[in-house]
Amino acid sequence: MTVEEFRYSTKNALYPVAYASMRAMHTRLEMVLVGVAEALARELAEAVEADTARMERLFNRHAAGAGLNVVNMLGRAGDVAVDDELFMVLELCEAFRRGTEGYFDITACSERAADTTAGYTLDAAAHTVRLHGAGALLDLGGFAKGYALERLRQRVSEAGVQQAVLNFGDSSITAIGHHPYGEWWPIGVEPDARRSAVAQEFRLRDSAMSVSGRGRGGEYHIFDPHSGERVVREETMVVEGRSALVCEVLSTALYAAPAARREGIMARYEGYTATALRCGATGGCEVLRIGRQPQRKDMDKE
Amino acid sequence: MDRKEFLKDCGRMGFAGWMLSLFPWLESCSDQTRREVQGEKARIGIIGTGSRGQFHIQHLLQMPHVEVTALCDDYTPHLEDAAQYYPLAKLYSDYRKLLEDKNVDGVIIATPLYLHAPMTLDALEAGKRVFCEKAMAYSQEDCLRVYNRRKELGGVLFIGQQRLFDPKYIKAMSMIHEGRIGEVVGVRNYWYRNNNWRRDVPSPELERRINWRLYSEYSRGLMTELACHQLQNGSWSMGMLPEQVMGSGHLVHWTKEDKRDVYDTVSAIFTYPNGVNMTFESVISNKHFGMGEQILGSQGTIDLVAGLIYSDDPMPKGSGIHQLVTQIENGIMSNSVFAGTSWAAETSPLAPGLPIMPNVTVNTGESTIGAEADGSKEIIEAFANAVITGRQPEKILEESYYATQFALLADRAMHENRILTLDEQFRIPYEPIRYKA
Repeated sequence: MTVEEFRYSTKNALYPVAYASMRAMHTRLEMVLVGVAEALARELAEAVEADTARMERLFNRHAAGAGLNVVNMLGRAGDVAVDDELFMVLELCEAFRRGTEGYFDITACSERAADTTAGYTLDAAAHTVRLHGAGALLDLGGFAKGYALERLRQRVSEAGVQQAVLNFGDSSITAIGHHPYGEWWPIGVEPDARRSAVAQEFRLRDSAMSVSGRGRGGEYHIFDPHSGERVVREETMVVEGRSALVCEVLSTALYAAPAARREGIMARYEGYTATALRCGATGGCEVLRIGRQPQRKDMDKE
Repeated sequence: MDRKEFLKDCGRMGFAGWMLSLFPWLESCSDQTRREVQGEKARIGIIGTGSRGQFHIQHLLQMPHVEVTALCDDYTPHLEDAAQYYPLAKLYSDYRKLLEDKNVDGVIIATPLYLHAPMTLDALEAGKRVFCEKAMAYSQEDCLRVYNRRKELGGVLFIGQQRLFDPKYIKAMSMIHEGRIGEVVGVRNYWYRNNNWRRDVPSPELERRINWRLYSEYSRGLMTELACHQLQNGSWSMGMLPEQVMGSGHLVHWTKEDKRDVYDTVSAIFTYPNGVNMTFESVISNKHFGMGEQILGSQGTIDLVAGLIYSDDPMPKGSGIHQLVTQIENGIMSNSVFAGTSWAAETSPLAPGLPIMPNVTVNTGESTIGAEADGSKEIIEAFANAVITGRQPEKILEESYYATQFALLADRAMHENRILTLDEQFRIPYEPIRYKA
């Protein structure tokens, strides 16, 4: 993994802007940093690349030897020891599973009978994990990008950057500060896979968002852990809030959950808002807010 | 389009428009045809009530517009097994007698390969509408004979190439022609099993009758029994026929315990006019890789068996986040549209691929009788409809004809250890479907 593209522009002398992109976790990670010296921007791009590569080595279930791959290979036969970070991630995932009524579940794509119980057992004393069932499989697809963004945002903030956007595969985005010419970062969401509908604007300020739904190729790739089937729903789910990780988990869970369960899930996550976009063939979209919504004007007053 | 939608929507306007132009044989299962046959009965006789014949019976039992009026087999245990499902059906041990039965409008022939051509010809001559299991015939000459006679007589003739009615193949082929994987640059087919391909024989004198697949007197082995299905993939995906065939076949493993004389290990390469190769490989003493059919494109791959698509380069051409950079450079702020659902995470070559449609049913290819949800039911239903309407679906016979011709040609190439082209005498006036989005 390397930084594929790095650009630094001083065209706007007041706000120099750096752009970096790299391939990571089977997608592209991009960052836009504002008001940062070129040397620091380069240094940060390389550090972010190194951090992401490390996390990918841990979370990639397809790469031989990756932490999660080893668990999937051996965890059905017995306890597998994992490092502190992966153990903590698996603990978090289990907490999110319980906190989303089972609709976020990293074992959802397992070849096991659909059920709502935990797909693995953690032993805190031994730092081991054991998978349940012969077809059990862990997949951090709905978690890893959000988790990585959370860590990367921290690194960029700690370096003193006050205005930045980090974009993981266009579906997980976190913002630091606000746009230099506005009170927020205005992010347009293409609400359907066919890109035929009018984009919906979301506003980020020291906050994050995540988008889940049909893939860009029109495919249904999210599993309903309760049924074990792919979720076939003409809907795009957008979740906004402080943490990129929570946003990512919730957007996946809410897309999988039936409408009647969504308010209940969102009630557990204060400060997070969800929006379901249902777009028709003509390009018009129905916008459904889920959970308690903040006053939009609050942001304008700041 | 999932399986249910396929069955439901096959003939709807709008959907039917493009679907039927690409796959005209689907007209035989369209809503319009279904309405046409409503209240009618297809009176069907089954010739050959062994494992495959009974597999078809399980589907026929689910079709209210089908009445099985006659059953025929010269092996009594099989006939008695089938008669349990249709106690009112007339039973025959000689198929010629069944063909004289006025209560039979159409026949399903599920007999050993060497009987396909003579039985099909007799049935056509008797004015019956015919469904014959694949392969079409034991020899290239017989294939042509059957094809020409059907043309002269008119009437209905289906060959059991059920992938023509399998929703995931239809969806995949339409995606390929829409350019979703770029230019087709290769086609890979394989079918591995690890079993002796034998059926139990109650007494030794029945060995060759029951295990006819193992003897070249009755069968052409793996090429006609397995390859025949997969060889359609090249012409479907590229809209052309192979120019030449080479191959190698041997008896490698199953030689000690029996006297079979058909190959248990084959490899064949079919080269198309554009230089693209299609391969077929079968080994029946190792099953690790199972059954596979993959269309390789310059921009991606479609796994036909799994119903998955992979992209060779899952990265988007340019992210909309560049707009944001440009805005800041120019001192303005406006909505930067780049967010959306994930476009890449599952399209890595390492990742498991994206399903081409919901609820894909994947067959392992292990069953030596038949698989569920592989188009077998749909093709039988389409045939039952055609028994009532009397309409021969467009292109279905020609597709099947060439599948068998090239399976037989490859078998010849193996036996003669030569590179072969299809003799002009075996070419029929037919162009495979070719379309571009």
